[in-house]
Amino acid sequence: MNTVSQPLLRLENITKRFKELIAVNGVCLDVPLGEKLVIIGPSGSGKSTLLRSINLLEKIDEGSIQFEGREVGYVMRNGTRHLDHSQAISALRAEIGMVFQHFHLFPHMTVLGNVMEGPLTVQRKPAAEARAIAVDMLVKVGLPDKSDVFPATLSGGQKQRVAIARALAMRPKLMLFDEPTSALDPELVGEVFDAIHTLADEGMTMVIVTHHMGFARELADRVVFMESGNFLAQGTPAEVFGSGQDNERIRGFLNRLL
Amino acid sequence: MALLFLCSLAGSCFAEDYDQLFRASNDLMAQGDLAGAVTLLNQVPAPVAGGDAGAFVSSRMQVARIHAAENDLDRATASCQEVLKLFPDNNEARNFVAALDALRKPRWHTILADILRFLPSLAKGTLMTLLLVLCTMLVSPLGGLLIALGRISTLRPVSGLCWFIIWFFRGTPLLLQLFFIYYGLPAFGITLPPLTAAVIGLGLNYSAYLGEIIRGAIQSIDHGQMEAAKAIGMSYGQAMRRIIIPQTYKRLMPPVGNEFIALIKDTALVSTIAMVELMRSADQLFNTYFNITALALAAVIYLVLTTIFTFIFEKIEYRAGIYEHR
Ligand SMILES: Nc1ncnc2c1ncn2[C@@H]1O[C@H](COP(=O)(O)OP(=O)(O)O)[C@@H](O)[C@H]1O
Ligand SMILES: [Mg+2]
Repeated sequence: MNTVSQPLLRLENITKRFKELIAVNGVCLDVPLGEKLVIIGPSGSGKSTLLRSINLLEKIDEGSIQFEGREVGYVMRNGTRHLDHSQAISALRAEIGMVFQHFHLFPHMTVLGNVMEGPLTVQRKPAAEARAIAVDMLVKVGLPDKSDVFPATLSGGQKQRVAIARALAMRPKLMLFDEPTSALDPELVGEVFDAIHTLADEGMTMVIVTHHMGFARELADRVVFMESGNFLAQGTPAEVFGSGQDNERIRGFLNRLL
Repeated sequence: MALLFLCSLAGSCFAEDYDQLFRASNDLMAQGDLAGAVTLLNQVPAPVAGGDAGAFVSSRMQVARIHAAENDLDRATASCQEVLKLFPDNNEARNFVAALDALRKPRWHTILADILRFLPSLAKGTLMTLLLVLCTMLVSPLGGLLIALGRISTLRPVSGLCWFIIWFFRGTPLLLQLFFIYYGLPAFGITLPPLTAAVIGLGLNYSAYLGEIIRGAIQSIDHGQMEAAKAIGMSYGQAMRRIIIPQTYKRLMPPVGNEFIALIKDTALVSTIAMVELMRSADQLFNTYFNITALALAAVIYLVLTTIFTFIFEKIEYRAGIYEHR
């Protein structure tokens, strides 16, 4: 039996290259159940690539991923690493929700249709059940009255909340947020943070990439600073953001943001 | 000069013997001097004072014929009327007047008669054209989708085969493809009825064209859509079917509509492989009656078909994109 200290997600020596460029450089990371982990760092430091590697949207070159104690995503065949068969990959992705910077809502479906789509098509739930789940999720993100409109009619903040509801409808065990507020007008950022806070209060495990230090400080159990594909530092928000921070680069980065 | 001479000649033999006058008028007509002939013939007097009734009628009828030949229908009629005033029962004059009246009737009368005469066989041809169009419209989007998905497949043999199909069917004339399927395949022991050969030829050709159009539309959809679909656990097939392909409909409609309009006209090519469709029907009528009304009518029918289809595609395009309207 797994011990209680078993992390929900364990990354071991993840390396991802794009031709010559090393986007993620041998990163190790444990995310215990219920943790709210925030990743910060300059643009191009590999945050998105790391997040996308977790749900196998990127195929890593080295390392291993364990989810709930199982090795996932890759199999060894004839001495080389291959992506696991597609059903296994889809099954893993179904357990990990992802929210993108640019929402990527399905424009040809209503808001309700977007949120229902996972339960309906992936989990093959009856339409009535999928609808009930979708309505619940829309209530959770504060958009029950937008069920029947198309995404084109929504504001950016509303779109991102629908995207969160769409991910939640799959009942994921882990949520990944890749700069969920970076494409939003400043006055719309708050409503998305509120939705994420609600989720955090429910105990959801999440990994969030953000440039909003105030939000990170408030929400995070742990903050990781990433640069050039490496973790330069990690700790509690107080440790990373506090006056005790003695790393020049991190100080510089934080000063530029504040 | 000749006229003056003949006039004096005619005067000299007045009321006695009109043979000379008729012969002279014939000579004038032979020379192309129709006006002179008319003047001469009109000198034959009315037979009031015991004149020669036969010569009078003959002369006026000849005048009428000359005017009719010159397309001067009114004066031709007037000349007949001169005869009828004295001889109301003269059949020749009456028939001629009736014929002139018939000529005066508006042309659309005869055109209408032609249309009614040609319409049944053209309608049959139109039905065959529609059958071909509908069969191809059913087959080619499916074929095109398969070819498009094959082209973007990561399996080399599949994408290679689909590339070849597109390369071949876009790179050779449809007419040649139809000939090959209908006249060429029997050499390999495959003999197809004309309709089957036509649908296979049109279907393959249009699948190849639509394949490229559909591939372009699929690849124009934002990559984020596929990623978002995968991120909620969808398979490639589910993402294509539920997310990507439905978003291509609006973009597909204008080019696919164009292709289908071209298809309606391209069906005319199958007339060369023993199919009697609209073009062939019109051609047969034209060759039988030497009447261009058959061709004009076929043109009108093609225009009606293309107009209807254009209208339908515009409606579908609007509906397919309704989610983009704010
Ligand atoms: N698909 C790709 N192909 C080539 N290079 C890429 C690709 N995706 C990301 N990169 C590169 O990898 C590095 C890390 O990118 P990314 O993970 O997006 O950084 P971040 O999210 O921290 O801004 C960058 O230099 C970026 O240009
Ligand atoms: Mg990024």
